[in-house]
Amino acid sequence: MEKILLKNIENPNSADINEYRKAGGYASLEKALGMEPQQIIEEVKKAGLRGRGGAGFPVAMKWTFASGDPKFPKYLLCNADEGEPGTFKDRPILEKNPHLLIEGMVISGHALKAEYGYIYLRGEYPEAKHILNKAIKQAYDANLLGDNILGKGIKFELAVHQGAGAYICGEETALIESLEGDKGQPRIKPPFPVNVGVFSKPTIVNNVETLSNLPYIIEAGGEAYAKIGTPDCPGPKIFCISGHVEKPGVYELPMGTMLCDIIFKHCGGIKGSKKLKAVIPGGISTPVLPADKLECSMDFVNMPKHGSMLGSGAVIVMDETVCMVKVCHRALKFFEHESCGKCTPCREGTGWLRAILERIENGKGTDGDIDLMLAVAGNMIGKTFCPLGDGAASVVQNFIKHFRPEFEDHIREKKCTVTG
Amino acid sequence: MITLTINGKEVKLEKSVTVLEAARSAGIKIPTLCYHEQLEKYGGCRLCLVEVEKMPRLQTACTLMAADGMVVRTETEQIAEVRRGILEFLLINHPLDCPYCDKAGECDLQDLVEKYGPAKGRFREKKRRVPESLEDPVIVRNMERCIMCTRCVRMCEGRQGASAIAVINRGGHSHIEPFSGGKFDCEYCGNCVSVCPVGAIMSRLHRHSYRPWQVKEQYETVCPYCGVGCTLIAQVRDDVIKRVIPKLGSAVNNGMLCSRGRFGYEFTGSKDRLSSPLIRKNGVLTEATWEEAIRYVADKFTQIKSSYGSTALAGIASLRCTNEDNYLFQKFMRAVLGTNNIDSAARTGFAGAQAFIENIFGQGATANIISGLSNADTIMVAGGDPTTVNPILGLQIRACSRRGGNVLSIGSYEGLRNFNPVKLLPARFSDTVLLEAIVTALKAVRGLNGSNRALEEKIADITVSSAEAEKRTGVSEKDLDGFVKLLSGAETFSMVIGKDIVQSSGSSYKLLLLSAINYLANGRIYLLSERANEQGSIDMGCLPDMLPGCRPVSMPEFRNKYESVWRAEIPELPGRNIFEIFEAAESGDIKALYVMGENPACNLPDSNRIASVLEKLDFLVVQDIFMTETAKHADVVLPSLAWAEKDGTYTNMERRIQRVRKAVQREGMSDWKITAEIAKNMGYDMSYSKAEDVFHEIARVSPLHRDLTYQDIENGENIYPYKGEPLRHMREEIAAVRSDTSAEEGRFYLGIERPLFHSGTLSTHAPAMLNIYPRPVVRLSARHAGTAGIKDGDIVRVTSGRGTLELPAVISNDSEMSSAMICNNFDGRNSFRLAGTVLDPVTKAPCLDQTEITIEKVKS
Repeated sequence: MEKILLKNIENPNSADINEYRKAGGYASLEKALGMEPQQIIEEVKKAGLRGRGGAGFPVAMKWTFASGDPKFPKYLLCNADEGEPGTFKDRPILEKNPHLLIEGMVISGHALKAEYGYIYLRGEYPEAKHILNKAIKQAYDANLLGDNILGKGIKFELAVHQGAGAYICGEETALIESLEGDKGQPRIKPPFPVNVGVFSKPTIVNNVETLSNLPYIIEAGGEAYAKIGTPDCPGPKIFCISGHVEKPGVYELPMGTMLCDIIFKHCGGIKGSKKLKAVIPGGISTPVLPADKLECSMDFVNMPKHGSMLGSGAVIVMDETVCMVKVCHRALKFFEHESCGKCTPCREGTGWLRAILERIENGKGTDGDIDLMLAVAGNMIGKTFCPLGDGAASVVQNFIKHFRPEFEDHIREKKCTVTG
Repeated sequence: MITLTINGKEVKLEKSVTVLEAARSAGIKIPTLCYHEQLEKYGGCRLCLVEVEKMPRLQTACTLMAADGMVVRTETEQIAEVRRGILEFLLINHPLDCPYCDKAGECDLQDLVEKYGPAKGRFREKKRRVPESLEDPVIVRNMERCIMCTRCVRMCEGRQGASAIAVINRGGHSHIEPFSGGKFDCEYCGNCVSVCPVGAIMSRLHRHSYRPWQVKEQYETVCPYCGVGCTLIAQVRDDVIKRVIPKLGSAVNNGMLCSRGRFGYEFTGSKDRLSSPLIRKNGVLTEATWEEAIRYVADKFTQIKSSYGSTALAGIASLRCTNEDNYLFQKFMRAVLGTNNIDSAARTGFAGAQAFIENIFGQGATANIISGLSNADTIMVAGGDPTTVNPILGLQIRACSRRGGNVLSIGSYEGLRNFNPVKLLPARFSDTVLLEAIVTALKAVRGLNGSNRALEEKIADITVSSAEAEKRTGVSEKDLDGFVKLLSGAETFSMVIGKDIVQSSGSSYKLLLLSAINYLANGRIYLLSERANEQGSIDMGCLPDMLPGCRPVSMPEFRNKYESVWRAEIPELPGRNIFEIFEAAESGDIKALYVMGENPACNLPDSNRIASVLEKLDFLVVQDIFMTETAKHADVVLPSLAWAEKDGTYTNMERRIQRVRKAVQREGMSDWKITAEIAKNMGYDMSYSKAEDVFHEIARVSPLHRDLTYQDIENGENIYPYKGEPLRHMREEIAAVRSDTSAEEGRFYLGIERPLFHSGTLSTHAPAMLNIYPRPVVRLSARHAGTAGIKDGDIVRVTSGRGTLELPAVISNDSEMSSAMICNNFDGRNSFRLAGTVLDPVTKAPCLDQTEITIEKVKS
């Protein structure tokens, strides 16, 4: 497959506007500015584009809600708070192909009649901030941003806002709170951001990867785009593979590539002569899959049928030397640290689960601990304010579901039986 | 019409509300912790999760809007299980110190655990520990009890507007902390205390001194401090007020209180209270019996009246005593002593300003509903920070700003700083010119409609261009134009006028200009009032020229009516006002003075002189609850009952008459009772068995209070003009005198600080208020202090032509360069000792802005 999102990134100067234009960049923007906003939304609809942040919500639907709201100004926010552990798919776009994102945002802004855009950037990406700011300046200088873009009388202002390192700010309403200067905590929905978002105005929040698809959709047309990937989930997908594979890294593949193919075909299989034990297919919040359950198509529609989710497409591969209790404990440490504290089950539950896992890890587990964890997780699932708490609880549930004997061994032997 | 089903019960709603509110309206209780009816929705505690048909997940009832056809279940086994789980989460880090916690017995968490469980704990790790914080004078924080409902934060930010506290840190490490660090250092309104559902933020005043269930009685009454007249509930145990709490839904303050109202109640139990009558014998105040004292006073009054005539007697009424006290007091002065020489400290500003405004707009012009202020689209504030003088009224201005309204101010007010005020800051003594320019510009935009000819004639004469104003006031034309643009665009306008204008040079002319602006912007006027019954004392006729119900004493038809009820003759000529009383006492024309619940030696400007005049009197009777500077000069001191010890009514600044209820029993007599006893001893029958009897007489005689009963005012919802009527068509020509006082380079002036934490001298007897604001200070600008070599905390001597004060200096960057601020709340160390008594010729209010002072350092 030709690369669409990561096109040209081998060029060491790919982030420069001239290099980007040389490779055909900003031609789509020119084309889009000649289109009616509604036409662009129609193309996106034909393309069947789904949000790449993790939930896979149809983009055209979200856009229709927002553009139907009579309030102005409207805001387009790019969610670049790539915080899901295991995920580094947006980073190459931000650092190597920033103009693709900018072009995608200007096109989207035109489609949505949004005149203001922000890139909410992960606090831990200082390099990307520098690159983005430089690219934005180049775009302003080239009249690709501003109040009369390419002389077409269309306005789009864009700025980078860097977060302070909170995972929860990847949740769109918490992102908006943070952008407004408040503590990053999710808001009550409804009203949804498409109607009442940042500064109480209609606001569209889309992921970096999502917005970066726009130039291609405009260039090739929605129908051509829809031919890539699966019929339910068209388009290219960036997968980021980490862990015990021969060739970890970032891969742009069609949506719906088989998980086993990603690991064994594209990434060269398991590193060394070890055996595969488990895979987390879409970032730490998505349910872990044991080695024998990898015959699944990596897309938003199919993964749930296999007991997991596509999530961000962050594939974490673990071989037989990895202790599942330890991984679970590490994950819960993360969730405890990142729980925003707004709702009771998440604030208290993540810490409690971490504490139980910690004592099992330390050889102080007792017989009832596994059931206690399941009970605590059960008291969290479906009761939290936002999906963070659900994610934390489901990690525990799924690790126990697939690897219960390992937890039992740990408790009985009062030490790790995998790593010794 | 929305119809939904909750637990099988059909619920019909007029408008869309949350499922929680819908359930409550149908009598179905859903447990909550983070929800509070006064606060924004939060959805954090998750206790109110309910099942809703066709919705896959459980829903929080507090955030879900009820929709037609919805089927909701709130008490299934699944829901009970969920609540048990949530409560278990809350308890894993909550100390089980209920036996020790003051909240036990009224703790929402305790009640819910009682109902749902869990019965035993499964958490084996260590609980989070946070040490108790006693950093603050009136609040104790116990953050390990905190359940992170954030009601305190939402109250502080969204309702009080103080934004003093926030959630610090994240997740399980979250805790509530003031921005200033360890201390709240805030407005100490304690509204966070009101909404905390557990024992995390509590009042220190009653710490470990009682249990909620030991409160046998509670009384709904009115706050004793300022003119807003907040409803509060005094909870009593063993004849001591243990706690004061607000009442949700009350008309004036709807669940909010300020620091004075909530924490200032302990003055009633002060050990400094007067308990026995005192008679001066051989120069020393000596304890006497009530019989002896009353007899003595009656005899002396009789004797002076017969020797020198009625005009040699005068009385000063109280802005803190009830309407019943004040009514009988003026009746005593008029009917028994035969003089109209009666006035009160309302003369120092409020009375004259109100009379001036009423002369333009009619009686009752300032009787406007406080809670309505937040609905204005534009509010203009002049002459004082409403958030310190009348804090609960100040909240309405903050709410107006929060709703998108414009807040305009002449001058800079700290309490409005975070509410986007559009400020004009004229140079000293140039506010008159600025107001003239505003009138000129506003007149050009809004025009005159002919409805108030007398005022329009005055307005027509005013012409000061913006350019001239810029030259003379330092306010740029651009700023002035912006200000006027907002004024002229106002559809619902309100104006708030404070003492700093009322008590300034040329105040009558400034009031005319403010009235003109208000007229052109078609608004309402709110006149700030610092005392609980300032309005009441006026309406009760404690004025030299007005009878109860604001009827002129000079008009025979009114006088005759009162004479026939009182069976006594009322002198036709108006009496002397409070300043004239002291002048006459100084010259020897007045021989005897009867002071009820007032402290002229502190509350009148030039108080050193006032004190020396008191010495000159042949006979001074002071009726009070404390040994004030005035009482120290008395021949007879009569101890009276305080607020909370007696029944009666107050009339607040919106002229709402409200019941003051007796909450604690104390030996002694109410002021009206003492006055009645003196009258009886002078052969005039005043037989009332209770305060209500006095009120009946007020309702019989005053046309304004016609037929009013305690039942009518029971709920505090009887609005001016009640069942009676104000006096119409009594306008006199509008007289106003412009002042040409100007500031001179290098001169330094006294400014009167009006602190949030004190009200008169009363609050200085409340230990909690003294803990927050313990002593008077001199507030200086950093620039002035720097040039004078004064550092923070240095003792400085402040000298004026009238006296000196030695006080510690507090250096502040906000203070104005040309003045030093000193409050007038500490008896004996009050700023009025330095002030002169130049009076406005029309309002008779003192011009307190003219006091020149010098400051020198005494010691570091």
